[in-house]
Amino acid sequence: MSIEEAFALAEAEAKLEQALADNKTRFDNAVLPNRYNEDWRFGRPNKFAMALAETLQRNANCHGGASVQHAGDSAVPVALAANDDLRQTEMLMPTIGSDALLGLHLKRFGNGYALYIEEDTKEPIRLTYKTSGLYTPSTFIMVAPGVKAHVIEQYCGTGACTMFATRNIQVAEGAELMVELNADVDAGSYMVITNIQNMGGKVKHLTELRGEWVREETIAEIYTPDADVQLYSANRLAGNQVLDQHTRQIHHAGGSSSNLLYKNVVDDNATAIFAGNIYVAPAAHHTDAYQSNRNMLLSDKATIHSLPGLEILADKVRCSHGSASAPMDDEQLFYLCARGIPKHEAQLLVADGFLADATDKFRGNIQTT
Amino acid sequence: MDESPFQIDTRGEFAFPENHRFDAGYGLTEATIDYICDAKGEPDWVRAFRKDALRRFREMPMPTHWAPQGINDLDFDKIRYYLAHGTAPYKSWEDVPDDVKRTFERLGVPEQERAFLAGVDAQYDSETAYNNMREELSKQGVIFVNSTEGLRDYEHIFRPWFGKVIPVNDNKFSALNHAAFSGGSFIYVPKGVKLSQPLQAYFRINSESMGQFERTLIIADEGAELMYMEGCTAPKYDSATLHSGVVELVALKGAKIQYVTVQNWATNVYNLVIQRGLAMEDAEIRWIDCNIGSGLTMKYPAVVLQGRRARGEVVSISLAHSGQLQDTGARMIHAAPDTTSNIVAKSISIGEGRASYRGEVNVLKGMKGCKNNTECDALLINPSSRTDTYPAISVNGNASAVQHEASVSQVDEEMLFYMQQRGLTRAQAMSLAVNGFINDLVKEFPMEYSVELRRLIDLEMEDSIG
Repeated sequence: MSIEEAFALAEAEAKLEQALADNKTRFDNAVLPNRYNEDWRFGRPNKFAMALAETLQRNANCHGGASVQHAGDSAVPVALAANDDLRQTEMLMPTIGSDALLGLHLKRFGNGYALYIEEDTKEPIRLTYKTSGLYTPSTFIMVAPGVKAHVIEQYCGTGACTMFATRNIQVAEGAELMVELNADVDAGSYMVITNIQNMGGKVKHLTELRGEWVREETIAEIYTPDADVQLYSANRLAGNQVLDQHTRQIHHAGGSSSNLLYKNVVDDNATAIFAGNIYVAPAAHHTDAYQSNRNMLLSDKATIHSLPGLEILADKVRCSHGSASAPMDDEQLFYLCARGIPKHEAQLLVADGFLADATDKFRGNIQTT
Repeated sequence: MDESPFQIDTRGEFAFPENHRFDAGYGLTEATIDYICDAKGEPDWVRAFRKDALRRFREMPMPTHWAPQGINDLDFDKIRYYLAHGTAPYKSWEDVPDDVKRTFERLGVPEQERAFLAGVDAQYDSETAYNNMREELSKQGVIFVNSTEGLRDYEHIFRPWFGKVIPVNDNKFSALNHAAFSGGSFIYVPKGVKLSQPLQAYFRINSESMGQFERTLIIADEGAELMYMEGCTAPKYDSATLHSGVVELVALKGAKIQYVTVQNWATNVYNLVIQRGLAMEDAEIRWIDCNIGSGLTMKYPAVVLQGRRARGEVVSISLAHSGQLQDTGARMIHAAPDTTSNIVAKSISIGEGRASYRGEVNVLKGMKGCKNNTECDALLINPSSRTDTYPAISVNGNASAVQHEASVSQVDEEMLFYMQQRGLTRAQAMSLAVNGFINDLVKEFPMEYSVELRRLIDLEMEDSIG
């Protein structure tokens, strides 16, 4: 090790220690989400956050899930239990108003996978988590410089299950990562906190979520110029389902770009909440960021709450956001019906087409050899 | 400077020694309220009403969970809650410092208003200037009085709507205003009367000028139309550090109300104003809002669309300099079917200034055919300027369409280069570009305001670009 490298390592260690010291009181002081927590606005914290916290506390020693991974040769999976480095990574994860819940997750740390991806993936790496009770897995994905990877994560729940997952994704310089998160927890509840750290690569992230109550917190942090993050989501809600999505696009460095497209089709008595924010740090000039939330409402009892946000502290940026909510276009329906397609199927087709916009863009350009 | 009764700071804001006839002192207690009621000679129900509001004000929490941090610095015990005119020292136009005179000249403020703004009220003969207009108004049955007269002399008209659009327990600052209100205008326009001239607060300057806890209630009866203007573009010094006004508009069936505000307080002022209008069937309410001054502004003009086919609109311009936070926006509550609303907000951040848009659009359950369009544009002038956008959109049901678009940009270097090539200074080029940015909104303001606004932006740009 050269002297420079030794210095850099010592500096990194000192930084980590400082961060851990700063972080120490974070979980002690955190209070469970309540109605004064702006990050849970419209999210009914007194109902959902409380229920999740109670389940976690009541079943402190229960880990009722199973996980399967198909990593191929390109990645090295690592067991999590007793891995202090990974525990520290989770300890330093940011949340969107859910520090207290992350604290409860940390107490149960040990389930899940860490993937070090060092070669291009020939086939997508698949991680599958299953439960019919309570399961709190953690996933770590680290992509080495210049590597192209594709990861598909599936969370399957049956019955009135509870799944609470954390995901840490780190992408090194020149790497390209496509990551899909597919969660279907049936009549259960699902919460996921994701932290994407982009050190100069390209990340495409897609979520497709379904459950009685689903909360997504996705925080993308961009540290170098030329880094790019694209966040997509496509969801269909029906019955009494509640989908509560929160995103942050944090640009620490100028010259970087990010894009977000979240689309929902909301039917019956379902509720979709989207609260996103683009943060451009001081001096992160020449940032290019976009955020778009599109909702299609199918019933007169469906509800959407959309809170797109911008916080721009730099100059010479191109940032914008858009939010639109509307019923299904009658003309499109008429066109399909006029060609003999029954109305109900026509509705499904139009809704599929609406959502396919997001999934197609996700599958677009990155080649995974 | 020492000989002059004025004190000027670097931004051309100025002060002069005060000598108020009525001064309730610092802090807000029951005794303060008794003092205000006695000074104004108010009926007993108002006194009881104020005391009830004070109790609620004390009980309610600050809106710290969402409001900008700056609001925490507010110390309610260090504020004077009632100051009224009286024996202001005699000043003449000659005493006004040259800097201030120059600003007024540049802005093109009419001579009489200039004198008033500079505090030269002894010279200002508002009675004669506006007497003709007042006669004209009373012939049409229009009531245009201040809040004290309104509740005392026209109780049967104003009391039924007083505190109905913005109830006392709406939020902490609403309760504060209900407890300590003074100043403002109470206006009633009878059925079918369409006022061709805008009403201005200037009209009744002789009585009570713009209050700290201003209270305005405007009722436009069926089919009536009016435009009301308050504030001014000239820098206005004020010793009171908290302005917490409440403005209630009631537009009955088919009525139209346009409310124009231009605010340019000194930067030591907290400007926390609650403005809300109630639009009944086929009625229309437009808020045209421009915030240039004050250290912290929190102001979200709202329209509750209560009747079918009602229409609401907010047009908002804000300009934030170093040391300023303009937290402005709009609220649209669609509480009836087929209602439409439109929000256009543009902000400019200069130096270390911070401009935020905070809005709410809510289409309530069961409402069909509602439409909203929201556009927010922000312009950043310097590298350390800041802008934020925090909209909240809620839609219930599948029979309404709501869209929101926001963007952030800066003045194009190429555009500036092009103009400088043709001989403009950088400041001139910048002010031309900024004026172009807000041009379509400035047109919504009455003529004299829009001219003043343009000139004001010229001035601001000169200061910031040099």
